[in-house]
Amino acid sequence: MPALDLERVRGLVGDDFVADRSSHGDHAYVVRPAGVRRILTALRDDPVLQFDMLMDLTAADRSLLPPKDRTERYEVIYNLYSLWNGWRLRLLAPVPESDPTLPSVHDLWKAANWAEREVWDMYGIRFAGHPNLKRILCHHEFVGHPLRKDYDRTRGQWCSELETLEDELEMAHTAERLRAHESGADPAESGIGERMILNIGPSHPVTHGTLRVLVELEGEIIKTAIPEIGYLHRGFEKCAEKGSWNNVIPYASRLNYVSALANDVAYVKAVEKLAGIEVPDRCKYIRVIVTELARIMDHCVCNGANIVDLGALTNFWYLFSAREKIYTIVEKLTGIRLTTAYTRVGGLSHDLYDGFADECRAMLKEIVPFVTDVIKLVKKNRIFMERTVGIGAITSEQAISYGWTGPCLRATGVPLDARKRDGYYFYDTFDFDVPVGENGDSYDRIMVRFEEIFQSIRIIEQALDKLPGGPVNTDNNKFFLPPKQELYRDIEPLMNHFMIVMFGTPVPAGETYDSFEVTNGELGFYLISDGKGKPYRLRVRPPCFYIYQAYTSMIENGMLADMAAILGSLNIVAGELDR
Amino acid sequence: MTRPAGGDGAPFLTTKLEGAIDWARKNSLFPIPFGTACCAIEFMGVVGPSFDISRFGAEVVRFSPRQADLMIVAGTIVYKMAPVLRKVYAQMADPKWVISMGVCASSGGFYDDYCTLQGIDQIIPVDIYVPGCPPTPDLFLDGLLKLQQKIDLDRRLRLA
Amino acid sequence: MSYLPLAFVIGLACLVPVLLFGLQRLLAPRRPNVAKLETYECGAPIIGSPHQRQPVKFYIVAVLFLLFDIETVFLFPWSVLYRRLGVFGLVEMGVFLAVLVFGLVYVWRKGALEWE
Repeated sequence: MPALDLERVRGLVGDDFVADRSSHGDHAYVVRPAGVRRILTALRDDPVLQFDMLMDLTAADRSLLPPKDRTERYEVIYNLYSLWNGWRLRLLAPVPESDPTLPSVHDLWKAANWAEREVWDMYGIRFAGHPNLKRILCHHEFVGHPLRKDYDRTRGQWCSELETLEDELEMAHTAERLRAHESGADPAESGIGERMILNIGPSHPVTHGTLRVLVELEGEIIKTAIPEIGYLHRGFEKCAEKGSWNNVIPYASRLNYVSALANDVAYVKAVEKLAGIEVPDRCKYIRVIVTELARIMDHCVCNGANIVDLGALTNFWYLFSAREKIYTIVEKLTGIRLTTAYTRVGGLSHDLYDGFADECRAMLKEIVPFVTDVIKLVKKNRIFMERTVGIGAITSEQAISYGWTGPCLRATGVPLDARKRDGYYFYDTFDFDVPVGENGDSYDRIMVRFEEIFQSIRIIEQALDKLPGGPVNTDNNKFFLPPKQELYRDIEPLMNHFMIVMFGTPVPAGETYDSFEVTNGELGFYLISDGKGKPYRLRVRPPCFYIYQAYTSMIENGMLADMAAILGSLNIVAGELDR
Repeated sequence: MTRPAGGDGAPFLTTKLEGAIDWARKNSLFPIPFGTACCAIEFMGVVGPSFDISRFGAEVVRFSPRQADLMIVAGTIVYKMAPVLRKVYAQMADPKWVISMGVCASSGGFYDDYCTLQGIDQIIPVDIYVPGCPPTPDLFLDGLLKLQQKIDLDRRLRLA
Repeated sequence: MSYLPLAFVIGLACLVPVLLFGLQRLLAPRRPNVAKLETYECGAPIIGSPHQRQPVKFYIVAVLFLLFDIETVFLFPWSVLYRRLGVFGLVEMGVFLAVLVFGLVYVWRKGALEWE
C-alpha cells in the first residue's frame, strides 16, 4: 500500500503545528489545542487521506517527564486510522493544567463520546461541547482523577449507592420530545410518562454480570436505553505503572480473560516495538499458534453463551467441551488454564513441550466435529434465524464512526483484519481467509465467528508445519534475562541480570502505539517510557469499549428479548471494556 | 473436620432432625453466581460436563437471590459494584452461605488500587475462601465440599 | 363408578402444599430486613413504580393463551375416552375444534398475534 503523504498532512495541520514526534515508524505531530477540531475535521474529510476512524482518544500526564519546566502538564492523544489505506496518524495536543479544556469531537466520530468521558474521568480534562461529560469508569461518588501522577494508587474510595441515572433518562426524554416536536408529532401521544422503567443491572445473567442498562419499556419495546459501565474497572493502567514492564503481563492476561494468551502476545509485541527488540522466528510462530488457540477458545465461549441466551443449551455444552480440550493443551503448555502469562518481553517464559505439535493437531481434529455439529444445529434453524437475522443490524458507516474493529466490523461488510493488513508475525505467509458478513446483524456476527474458528485452525496447522527450531528468546540480554548458566561465568550477563531484576527492563525513553488483532478486534497499546524500567503511561485501546458504545442505539426500538441476542453477539468482555 | 461432641443430654430426636435438615440443605445448594471476571469463566467450566457440579447437587444456578442460598462471588468486586453485592446478599433468603472464589474476591487480588474492594469480607460475611487466580475447577469443588462439611457442623443456622 | 382414585388425588393435592408450608413454618429461619422486602432490581435503586398502566397487548396475548390452553384441557378427556365415544365423539369434537380454528384464523388475520 502507498505510504502516507506527510506533506499533505502537514498542509492540513498548517499553522497549528508545534513539533514532530514521529518515532518507531509512527507518525505523530504535536498540534496546538485551538486548532485540534479544525485539523481533525480536515483529516477526516480529506478525499485522499480519509482518516475516517478514530482508533483511540486518550491522554497522558507528562508532569514527571523531562523537561522539568514544562508548561503543559497533560497531553491529549488522538489516534487516527485511515481504514481504506491502512495509514495511522497520531496527533498530540498539549493541555495546560490551569485550563484543561479542549473542544469535543464527539460529532466527528461517535467513538469520541465515551473516550472523552474516560479522559475526563481519569485526568479531569474537560471537553467543551460534550453532551454528557460524566464519569464513566469510576463511580459517581469518586473524588479526584486517578490517572494523574499525584493520585495515590492505593487510595480507594467507597461508593454508598448506585447512581440512579435519572438525569440521563431526563436528557433522553428531552431529546425525544425535541425530535417529536420537530417532526410535528402530537406531544400528548408520546406516552413518555406511562413507560415502565426497568433496571437490567450489573448482576444479571443477560448482561454477563457487569453491564448495566436502564431501559424504558413500552410493553416489550425498548424506547430508551441508558448504559453504564465501569463495574469491573480494576485500574489496569494505574497498576501497570507500579512495576516493571514484565510485571504488567499478568494484568494484560486479565484484560480479555477469555482469550488471555492473545493479550499477552499483544502487550509484549508493543513493548518490543518500543524497545526495538527483535524476537527469534520460533518465538513468533509460537506466539501465532497461541494467539489463534486463544481466538478459537474465545469464539467458542462467545457463541456458546450467545446461543444459550437465545435458549439453546446444547450448543453451550458442545462448545465448552471443545474449549476444555484446548484448555488441556494450554494448561500443559503454560501451567494454567485460563489467565496465562506465557509471554515475556523478548520471548516466552518457556518453550513448547515435547509432543506439543502432535497433541495440538490431534486436538484440533477433535474439536472440528463439535463446532460443525453446532453450526449444523443453528445455521438453518428457523427459530435461531428469526431471533438473529435482522436483529441488531448496523451499517458499516456507523460501525466505522463508532470505532468498531474485529469480527463485529467484518460482519458489516468491511474486510478489515490487521493480520492481513499489517502482516506481522508471518501472517502474510499463511494461507487463510477473512470471513466477511453482509448485513451486520447478529446472525452475521455469529456466523463470522464460527467461520473464523476454522480459519484459525488452518493457521495453526500451517504454523505447526513451518515451526522452525532454534532459540525462543531473544539473545539481547540487556532486555531479557540471560540464561542462568552464563550468570555464574561472566560479569556482563550478571550485570544485565542485576539491572533487569532490580530496576526493571530498561526500555528506552520514548513512546509508541502498537496494535494487534485479538478476538474482538484491534487491541492497541500506547506506551510511554521514561527509561527508568517502569511503564510511565500504558494505555490500552480496548476493542470492546468502542463496540459497546453502539449497543444502546442497536437495542432502542427493539424488543426486550433481543437485548440478549445482540449483547451476546458483540462479545463484550468486561475485563477489556472496563480495564 | 470431625464432628464435635453433641453435648451431654442433647436430645436424640432433634439432633437427628437437624442432621436430616443439614443433609438436605448441603446436598441441594442453589448457587447464585455473582460472577464478574475471569473466575466466572472458570465457574462456567465447573458447571460444564467435565467438572460436573451436578454431582454435588448444586447445578441449579439461579440468578435471582430470592431463589438461591449459596452466593458464589467469582471475580473482582470493585467499589462501584460493592453496593450491588451488599444489596443482592441482603435480598437472599436465609439460610445463606457465601463462597468467595478467587483471590480478587477474597482479598482484592493483585489489584491493590483505588477502585478495587480489598476483599468482599469487608461488606458481607464469607464462609469459604477459595484461593487461586483463577482457582481450577477442582479446587473450587474442594471448596464446595468444605462448605458442605461446614453446613453440617455450623450451629448458627439451627431451627429458626 | 369409583371415585376413590379421585379422592386420593385431591387428598394428595391438599396434603403436599400443607406439608411443605408447614415444614417451612416450623423449620425455616425467618430474618426479614429492609433490603429483603424490597423489589429485586439487580442491586440498583428503584425508579418508578410497577403499578402503572401496562399496554393492552399483554392482555390480548394472555387471553389468547388462556383460550387455547383451555381448549387443550378439554381435548384430554376425549383422548382417554376415545374408543367409548366413537363417531359421536369425533363429530362433537370436530365441531368444537372447528369453532376454535375459525377463531384462530380470525385472530391471525386480524394481526393480534403480532406484537406491533
